[in-house]
Parts: sequence; structure tokens; C-alpha cells
Amino acid sequence: MGIYYTKLAFLSLWKTRYMSLLAIIVIAVGIAATMTTYTINYMMTKDPLPSKSDSLHLVRLNNWSPEVIYGNRDEEHAPIYMSVQDAVNLIRHDKAQAHIPIAGFKDMLKLPSQDAIDAKMTFVRASTRDFFSSFEVPFLYGSSWPKGSDQSGEQVVVISKKLNEQLFEGKDSIGQLIELGEHQFTIVGVIDDWFVLPRFYGESTRAFKSPRDIFVPFQTQLNLEFWSPNVQAFECWKDAENASVAAFWASECIWVYFWVQLNNELEKDAYMDFLDSYVEQQKSLGRFQRPTLNELQSPAEYLKEREAYSSDSEIAVWLAICFFALCLLNAMSIIMTKFQSKAGEVALRRAVGASSVDLIQQYMIETGIIGLIGGLLGLLLSQICLFLSSQLYTHLSKDIMAMSVQLMIVTVLLSVVSSLIFGLFPIVKAIRVQPATQLKSL
Amino acid sequence: MLRMSKLAKTYRTDEIKTSALCPFDLEVKQGEFVAVVGPSGSGKTTFLNITGLLEQASEGQYWLDGVEVSTLGDKDKSRLRNEKIGFVFQSFNLIPELNIYDNVEMPLRYRKLSAAQRKERVEQALEQVGLAKRQSHFPSQLSGGQQQRVAIARALAGSPSFLLADEPTGNLDSKMASGVMSLLKEINQKGTTIIMVTHDLSQVAFASRVIEVKDGVINDVENYAQEIA
Repeated sequence: MGIYYTKLAFLSLWKTRYMSLLAIIVIAVGIAATMTTYTINYMMTKDPLPSKSDSLHLVRLNNWSPEVIYGNRDEEHAPIYMSVQDAVNLIRHDKAQAHIPIAGFKDMLKLPSQDAIDAKMTFVRASTRDFFSSFEVPFLYGSSWPKGSDQSGEQVVVISKKLNEQLFEGKDSIGQLIELGEHQFTIVGVIDDWFVLPRFYGESTRAFKSPRDIFVPFQTQLNLEFWSPNVQAFECWKDAENASVAAFWASECIWVYFWVQLNNELEKDAYMDFLDSYVEQQKSLGRFQRPTLNELQSPAEYLKEREAYSSDSEIAVWLAICFFALCLLNAMSIIMTKFQSKAGEVALRRAVGASSVDLIQQYMIETGIIGLIGGLLGLLLSQICLFLSSQLYTHLSKDIMAMSVQLMIVTVLLSVVSSLIFGLFPIVKAIRVQPATQLKSL
Repeated sequence: MLRMSKLAKTYRTDEIKTSALCPFDLEVKQGEFVAVVGPSGSGKTTFLNITGLLEQASEGQYWLDGVEVSTLGDKDKSRLRNEKIGFVFQSFNLIPELNIYDNVEMPLRYRKLSAAQRKERVEQALEQVGLAKRQSHFPSQLSGGQQQRVAIARALAGSPSFLLADEPTGNLDSKMASGVMSLLKEINQKGTTIIMVTHDLSQVAFASRVIEVKDGVINDVENYAQEIA
């Protein structure tokens, strides 16, 4: 009967094509508005690394002035980043599965063969090789640098696919040289398309921007004294001994985000014990004069505390859902009008032996097809809206404006299911006709 | 066989109670051709609708081929309509966007028949009404008489025990009407019980029995021709 009902549904859709088209458009517009806003909100608030969300932790140590609470807050919390010396010490103690300092700078980038005038200002991320494994960064060519590069601070880089296309036309560039400022670096890896949203590991205000295009070892940044104070946020409660970069590295100024990977509660407890003993040891050296407030914070906790998510997008989703409900009510009214014109046919089918269930099935298939076409059209409109949004909000990562396959399926299913729910009333109303009174109206 | 006992139909609004059919007893035997006559508004169509299970009687009992229908639910009534009753309406009631084959096939779709069984029955029914070669035509491509023949084929396709016709020639000219009536007579002679509501006294002659409905009262009329004379 399914094929028969589908055939009848298409005949009926063609017969009432203008009303059907109107219902489809109304549903499509509602779906597009809802799914566009939902997609953006979903991509902004989703778990960036579901497989690692329980094992990655931001290390927070309460290294701040003995006189004032960090941030002048009512409730004392450790700063979100730490000093270079603490980051280096924690790496050296090697107590976690992975150590991922998040530092960086900017400098002029060019190929050795290019003139200085062709160099472009580029933001560079400095971390360790653990960055790539812990954050599940896929590689197109090569791999992350070896552990020795982290320890000695070798001049090696990993570049993004985008930069590889710009510099090497997308070819395998492993072993090629690039220049950052006055220093030459050897490319050891090219990362593939990598979507990490929200980008949790650095500044929360940049959580929805694309990852940087160049990665170098943290130790290399320290060795070569790459420092861009106008780019990198930092806070100092005590001046460095002098204005040199080396003095800044040795100071109590805090600016390095420090993430660790701890695979279970036991490892987490052990690491907390280690942090406590580390801070106690540092206290004995005259540092960490505030109360010990060591903390291991998950990516979600960190993003929430830093208010990376705007509540505006959530409100927009609710408004879009209300708009969709209004669209569905409109579609329901159109479907009701459409089915009213079928009272004679309903009566005839009743007369020749169709039961209520038969008719409900027949008209639900018709309503479902309206929902399906509305959903597919809505999906197309959503894609157009997302594309336009990505063109309009160029400061945000384009990945926010991209719908996953799951969301596409949800879009179409939502349209079909909501059309069936809202179409049920017109269907029930249509089949309640008295056959005897309608048989003269066909 | 069809048997009605103390059957009555009353329409009620908040303030008014209207008796459409007064309590009556009736029995129609297999193979009868019953003409139901009476003035407009007398209750003829109401009687036919109750007979065809399209309306529920307000009181009384009704047995259709031995099944008491008053207490049946929607599904059972639909099945009974599908298997036992065929309808022919004054306005043909064909679905314009379906071709002749699909229109005739419609009642069979609600039975668990294979496509081959449905095809055989549809072709047989269309053969019987002389429209076997018009299967792929649409209703709008046929004359009124041909459309009514298609409606009769649709009613016959399910091999019903009863064929209920509500003024089947009301929308046809005399020539076409005569053809349709001859066809109904032929169908009756093959064993199908026909109950036909009509205004046309010339068609009463085709019936073997006449029932008159007047002001909601149903009576058998022995010699209708003499009575109206």
C-alpha cells in the first residue's frame, strides 16, 4: 500500500500544487531559520574534542602578588596562565601523559628564495609535539617534530594545509625551508584540514577563529627569544629584572597556557599531588606567596568560566524555534485548506471500504512528502544562509558556519516529523467527514 | 440477505429533534431488484446511506448477510462495505486525476489481493460494462453514460452481494439512462441484489420490488404502477 499511497500523494500534490508549494516553502523557511541558527550555536558550543574532553586539563597555579587577589575578584581563583619558568619546570618533571604549553608570537614569514618585501606578517603557535597527538591533529605530510626538538629547541616547523598551498602549491613540502624573521626553519609536517571548535586551548576571545598556520617548538621560541608583547596577552605583578626577553622569560609574568593530558582519575589525583608538592617546593624558594589554589580545569569548564559562549546565540535559537512553530502553524492551516477540498474523495474512499487507518496512512504519506521536500529545500536554504553568514562574519571561523552530515539528516528528519505532527490535525479533521453528506461534492 | 428491525433515524440539534425515518422492518432477499421511490426529502437517501453503512441508524437492528452491523466499529464496517456493498452515485464520483483502471481498482486496493488478482477483476468488470478498451482514459475523456458505467464497474469489481444505486441515471440523458438501466438489470439477473433510489418512474419497471418512502415512513408497494395511475 505504501507505493499506492505515494502515487496518490504525488497526484494530490500536483492537483493542489500551488497550495502544496506554499506549504513546502513555509516549512522550508522555518527549517532554514532554525537550522542556520542552531548550526551556528551548536558549532560554537559543542565539545571540541569529545574523545579527550575528560582527559585534557588546563593547569592553573596561584602565582600572583602576595598583596592582591588575582583579577581583584571576590572569590580567589588561580590565573589561567603561568610563567615561563613554571611551564618549563612542569615539562621537565614530566608527570603527565602529555604537556602542552600554548605560547606564540608573530613574525615575518617568507621563503628563502623570496625578497624581504614579499614577507608576510604571520602568527605562530609555539607548543610541544604533544600538541598534535593530544589534540588529534591530522597530518597531510610528515608528522610532528621529534621529542629531541622539544628538548633542544630545534628550528623545525609544522605548517597548515592552507599555508602549504600558498607557499608550495599544496605539494609535499617536508624538508623545505621557510624563514621566520631572521631564522630559517625546516618543515617537518603539514597538517590536514583540522576543525577544532571552539578552539579551547588559547585565549577564549579567539575561541571561534581558525588555528594558526605555523607551529614551532616552545623551547625554540624561548631559545630564539621570539616575543611579541603587542600580540601575546601577559600579566605581571612584579617587573622583570630588566627589559630583555631573557629577563622576561625568567620573571613572574604569566602568559603561557599549560594543558596536560591525564587519562584517568588516578592520574589526575597523582598530578594534583604533584602540583601541590611543586607549589610547596616553590614556596620554600620564596615564590607562590598566595594560598595554594591549584586547579585542573577541563576545556568545557575553562570556556564556561571565560564566557566564551555568548548567550545571544542561544536566544537566537529559541527565537528561531518560535518562528519555525509559527511557520508550522501556517503550513497546518494550508494543509487543512488543501484537505478540505478532498472531502469528496475521502467520502468516496470511505464508501468503497477504506478505514480511518487507511486514510490516515494515505494522507500522512502526503504530509510526510510535503515535510520531506520542505526539509530538503530548507536544507538548501540553510546552506545558502550559512554561506552568506560566513561571508558576512569573516572574523569568525568558517567552520562554525558548516553543517555536519548528522545535522543535515536531523534537518530533514525534523521537517518530516514536525510536518507529520502538525499535519495530523488537518488529516483527522479531513477523515471525520460524513461520507453521506460529501458524496455529492467530488 | 438484508434484514432491518425497528430501524429508525432521528437527527437532533440542541432544540429540534427531526425524525428522518420512522421505525420500520424490512427484509431484502438475495437477487431482488428493489426500487426506492418517494418525493424529495422523504428520506430515500437516508435509507440508502444507512443500508450502505455510511450512516448509523439511531435505533433498531440491522443484519447484513447475517452480521449485526449496529455494534461494529469503523474497521469492521469498512471491511463489510468493501466486501459486501457496491455503490453507484448520481454524480458518478470518479476521481478525476486517476485513470479508468485506477478508479475501478480503488475498492480492491483495500483488500489483500495480489496485483494480478486486482488486474483480473478490474478487466472483468470493465469488460462487463463494455469499457475494456478505455482503461487508460481519464474520466474527463468519457461521456456521462460511460462515466456511470465506470462507476458501475468500480462497484462490481469487488463482487458485492448488494449494489446500492442513488439515482444512477439522474445526470444522464434518456438514451444513456436506458443503457445504464439495462446494464443494472443484467447485473441483477446474474445474482447481485440491487437497491436503487430513483425519481424516474420509468425505471421502476426494471425493479422486481418497489419500496416507497414518504415523510420518513417506509412501505412496500405491491402494484406501484397502478397506485400512481
